[in-house]
Amino acid sequence: MKDNFRQSMKWFHTWVGLIVGWILFFMFLTGTLGYFYQEITRWMEPERPFIEHNITNEQLLDTAQAYLNKHAQGIDGWDIYLPNVRDQNLRVGWRHPAEPGKKRGQYKIKVLDIDSGDKVASRATGGGRLLYRMHYRLHYLSTDISYWIVGFCSMLMLLAVITGVVIHKKIFSDFFTFRAKKGLPGWLDIHNVLSVIALPFHFMITYSGLLFFLFTYMALSTYLQTNDDEYREMRKEIYPRTAHLEKANQPAEMLDVSVLYQQTKTAWQDDDLSYVEMYATNDINAQVLFVRHETDITYNPADEVMINAVTGEVIAQQAKEYTGAGMIHNGFFSLHEGQFSGPLARWIYFFTGLIGTAMIASGLILWTTKRKPQQMKKSNGPDFGYRLVEQLNIGTIVGLPIAIAMYFYANRLLPLDMAERAAWEAHVMFISWAILLIYPAFRPGAKAWSEQLTLAALVYLALPLVNALTTDKHLGNSLPQQDWNFAGFDLTFLVVGGCFAFAAYKVKVLQASKRSSKQSGKQRVRQSKPPVLAASESLLSLQQVNKEKC
Amino acid sequence: MSYLFTKFNLASPRWPVFSRILAATFGGYALATASSLFISQLLLNVVGKYQAIHIGLMLTFIVYACAAMWVFSVESASKAWMGLIKLTIFFTITTWLLMQFTGANS
Repeated sequence: MKDNFRQSMKWFHTWVGLIVGWILFFMFLTGTLGYFYQEITRWMEPERPFIEHNITNEQLLDTAQAYLNKHAQGIDGWDIYLPNVRDQNLRVGWRHPAEPGKKRGQYKIKVLDIDSGDKVASRATGGGRLLYRMHYRLHYLSTDISYWIVGFCSMLMLLAVITGVVIHKKIFSDFFTFRAKKGLPGWLDIHNVLSVIALPFHFMITYSGLLFFLFTYMALSTYLQTNDDEYREMRKEIYPRTAHLEKANQPAEMLDVSVLYQQTKTAWQDDDLSYVEMYATNDINAQVLFVRHETDITYNPADEVMINAVTGEVIAQQAKEYTGAGMIHNGFFSLHEGQFSGPLARWIYFFTGLIGTAMIASGLILWTTKRKPQQMKKSNGPDFGYRLVEQLNIGTIVGLPIAIAMYFYANRLLPLDMAERAAWEAHVMFISWAILLIYPAFRPGAKAWSEQLTLAALVYLALPLVNALTTDKHLGNSLPQQDWNFAGFDLTFLVVGGCFAFAAYKVKVLQASKRSSKQSGKQRVRQSKPPVLAASESLLSLQQVNKEKC
Repeated sequence: MSYLFTKFNLASPRWPVFSRILAATFGGYALATASSLFISQLLLNVVGKYQAIHIGLMLTFIVYACAAMWVFSVESASKAWMGLIKLTIFFTITTWLLMQFTGANS
């Protein structure tokens, strides 16, 4: 009975993973890139200067306030983002009034030159934000539809994680038989290793992903238990916000933010300002909220100081009170987004995300390698379903990384004055992906793998070159300047390209050895085919894993 | 593919599998919703209304997952449907009984 349960779970795991595997791969890869979204945005706006910050926070606040006073009059809320480890530029932001028929206006961020106090004109780009938003806000689909698709996929991912754990015991015993028979670790081993080493992450990221849209997905239950007012109350309890006053429509002179900041500095005993929010600006009710850098996932009330911007009095804030469940809920959000992490933790998040991506990829490839020996025996070729899966695998696992590279190419190569430029960056990405998805249909599986891997290698290795030809932020400048944002990008591109090149080379070698073993003895072919295939695939898989890690 | 169906006793025609998919998707959702109502009634006087609802909601994904797994592990699709329906009715009735007890009017 128990074994029966495990058997059915194995079946369930296979199919649950397969049907949404490609969307999950897309979600995991774009989501993983999201851990570096600020850095990506900076890379995609190469006009921004690289600055050493030896300028005091007070001076920066003055510069920002002067710009906002000049260019954002009449807007109720202003934000100032101080330079930090991730982004050395001073930025200001505000939300435009909502256009008729829309819930919220557009949020605009401007990068300021700290010397002149003017806006840095940079090319129109979607940046890292557009790229990472794709992982839950599937680019071309409407908000509602993408949330439901993402929810469905996440739910199946959760099922795949749980069933994976359930069947793991059985897999564990298979582990050794597998190895003994083939002499080399197969896709199954790789899939297991990738799943096990980051299991807590896989569970956390999936479950917290579902929690983001808890009230959308479980709308029926919420609807049955609360009316509109109660629902609002409940959300307030779960996501407590710092209260602030609205405009009283009585214009008043605001004090300098840099002067107000002095009190905050005294309260904090440090100068670790992250950003400033201003409400009801240039009004009698004007308030300024100073927020300190977040360093861990817990909520620390002392991190925020609110000051009346007209009188300069500190407004005592009621500390946000979290319920037990609310703490768990928000804790999961923090873990999912990793906003608190420093450079090291950010890289760990990034690699763990790639492990998740590689786990999905290995699972998808496992599906085909398991069925390959049987499918190849069929007189009129493999089934349509098998071919479709293989094609989608090639088009997604290698095709999507190429498409993402094309997004970066578009950023550098599209004409700067092009209309809808930012939108076209994304169009280029999706058009490339579509081509790469269709292309494998016209090529034999092994050929398509090796061709697309070669293309991926070329595309990534050439990116630093294109960057050098189109901007002055190339390795020759970024390394001596220690501009790690740009140097890190170029170096990462080279490493990723190198890994793809290595994978492409290995695939070619393995295909050659397969052909020669076929010729060496026709008698043996039938029997030796599956192990040879499995062995070659597993070697390829090792390269794949290396590649994914890069 | 077909050998999997017979091997795991899921019967050869595809209809039972289709029926199970429906059971897991919609039956599972109904059961998860019913379970959230039950949990929130159960905790109502312990942690307050909003937190009780919240806890019930947060657990729905786990209930949903377990239900879906169970649907695909029992011998037949009809058994899966019956199990889901019975459990959903059980949760609904106990929720109703608890409501009489706690005097809530939600």
